[in-house]
Amino acid sequence: MKPSTTPKRRQGSALNTSAKKTAVDKAAPRGARSQQTRFVSRLRAWGRHHRSMAWDSFQRLVRYPIGNLLTMLAIAIALVLPAALWLTLDSARLLDAELDESATLTVYLELAADEAQALRIEEAVNAEQSVLETQLISAEQGMADFQQALGLDDALAGLENNPLPISIVVRPANVDPAAMQQLANTLEAFSGVDEVRVDLAWVERLRNLAELGRRVALALGVLFGLGVLLVVGNTIRLSVESRRREIEVVMLIGATHAFVRRPFLYSGAWYGLGGGLLALGLLGVGNHWLSLPVAALAASYGASFSMPQLDVTGSTILLSCSTLLGWLGAWMAVTRHLSSMRPR
Amino acid sequence: MIAFEHVGKRYGGRFEALAHLNFRIARGEMVFLTGHSGAGKSSLLRLVMRLEKPSRGRVVVAGHDIAQLHASQVPFYRRQIGVVFQDHQLLFDRSIFHNVSLPLEIQGVEPRESARRVRAALDKVGLLHREKALPIELSGGEQQRVGIARAVVNKPALLLADEPTGNLDPQLSADIMALFEDFNRIGTTVMIASHDLALIARLRHRILRLSDGRLVADEGAV
Repeated sequence: MKPSTTPKRRQGSALNTSAKKTAVDKAAPRGARSQQTRFVSRLRAWGRHHRSMAWDSFQRLVRYPIGNLLTMLAIAIALVLPAALWLTLDSARLLDAELDESATLTVYLELAADEAQALRIEEAVNAEQSVLETQLISAEQGMADFQQALGLDDALAGLENNPLPISIVVRPANVDPAAMQQLANTLEAFSGVDEVRVDLAWVERLRNLAELGRRVALALGVLFGLGVLLVVGNTIRLSVESRRREIEVVMLIGATHAFVRRPFLYSGAWYGLGGGLLALGLLGVGNHWLSLPVAALAASYGASFSMPQLDVTGSTILLSCSTLLGWLGAWMAVTRHLSSMRPR
Repeated sequence: MIAFEHVGKRYGGRFEALAHLNFRIARGEMVFLTGHSGAGKSSLLRLVMRLEKPSRGRVVVAGHDIAQLHASQVPFYRRQIGVVFQDHQLLFDRSIFHNVSLPLEIQGVEPRESARRVRAALDKVGLLHREKALPIELSGGEQQRVGIARAVVNKPALLLADEPTGNLDPQLSADIMALFEDFNRIGTTVMIASHDLALIARLRHRILRLSDGRLVADEGAV
């Protein structure tokens, strides 16, 4: 059937004409202006019903605090895990930015090259467009670093000649693996250059790990989002069942599906919002609880690492998502139920 | 107002609840529908309310074949019909006032206007002083009057009643019928299913008699 509204309107007027005119009928203005005022008044009525249903469903929530709190807690727990993982990955992204800075090429000069030659080569390297900055490391400096890194002072001190070449550490403008490899090839062709090392493998590994984590977080997010839908859906299903009589009566006297659905949608949204707030609380508590050992652990590596916090944007996203999920869960439950409900 | 054209209704393929119904009810008429229980009175009312569609024939209300109404239009159709149920269908967790205001709430009538109309309807059925009571605190006759107030609160052009005096004593039944006559007098088309033959015979309105889903008599038509 066509989604036209004319039949019911015509029907309405046909039916109404027979009734003796009420005060309201007489008061109702006619013509084009009446169309507009009717639209405005219907809009007002719609807003009024939304407000009253939002408040009504909130009061129902407060009336049974324990049971509803448990529902929200279930939602919160389902939200905390993906949110926490997401937060961790977010801080890993910060780490990633630092990694970019530490992505370097090391240019080893031929052993025969002396200081002056090295300076010339460094200049040439610096002239390359894709080079951000360079650092010359003398053979002595290289040896000192090596000793420190290995803790082999004595063994190396026994060497007569310094076996290490002068090296240049190059920080490329573009840390893309392919670009770095290309730069390495270019630099290797310079005269006086023995070898160019690209320190990429572990950067790549970390990147892949982060990508894996991101996908796991996404999958978990989807799964637990479905979990929230089911929790809310089930709760709303029970509440629809308990108000079955009321629904049947109002449908009998002309309530639309939207009218019947509305209070339950608000209930679902409240559940979602409550669950989201609880999840935020749980994240805060977990954060606090973990921050000390994490700081200690980081300190033992000589690094400073602060636990990632959900900022205002993150919190807003979490709350919007949970509210939306609650609403959607309720919608699915009520819609499925309404189709099976027939007024007696 | 209402026209049944060769209407038949089968349930579950076999059982024939209504068959070959042909009649018309004019605007402003008051009609009783009678017959033994199981004769099809309720089925007929359910067809008019569009709770069900006929298996055969057409039910035309105010010029429209209501089987053609889209599901989304049915609520708007029902808003124009006041229905009084034998078991009242009141909501027991709401006051009398809220029960009566339900149809207006559904239609989004502005609260002050709604309150005015609810009080007018309650006044009409003589229950204005009980507006704050819960349905459970009322007697059967009073509950039925609340049901009637709810059915007429939005001034429907058509008023249907299914055994409205089913469980009431003769005096209360007569009072209820007098109420329906009042509404009929101001132009409302009224259709009442009842098996209280003695009572409806006294009232001198048109009577449609059903038996085994067939119309066997149409008495007192104007």
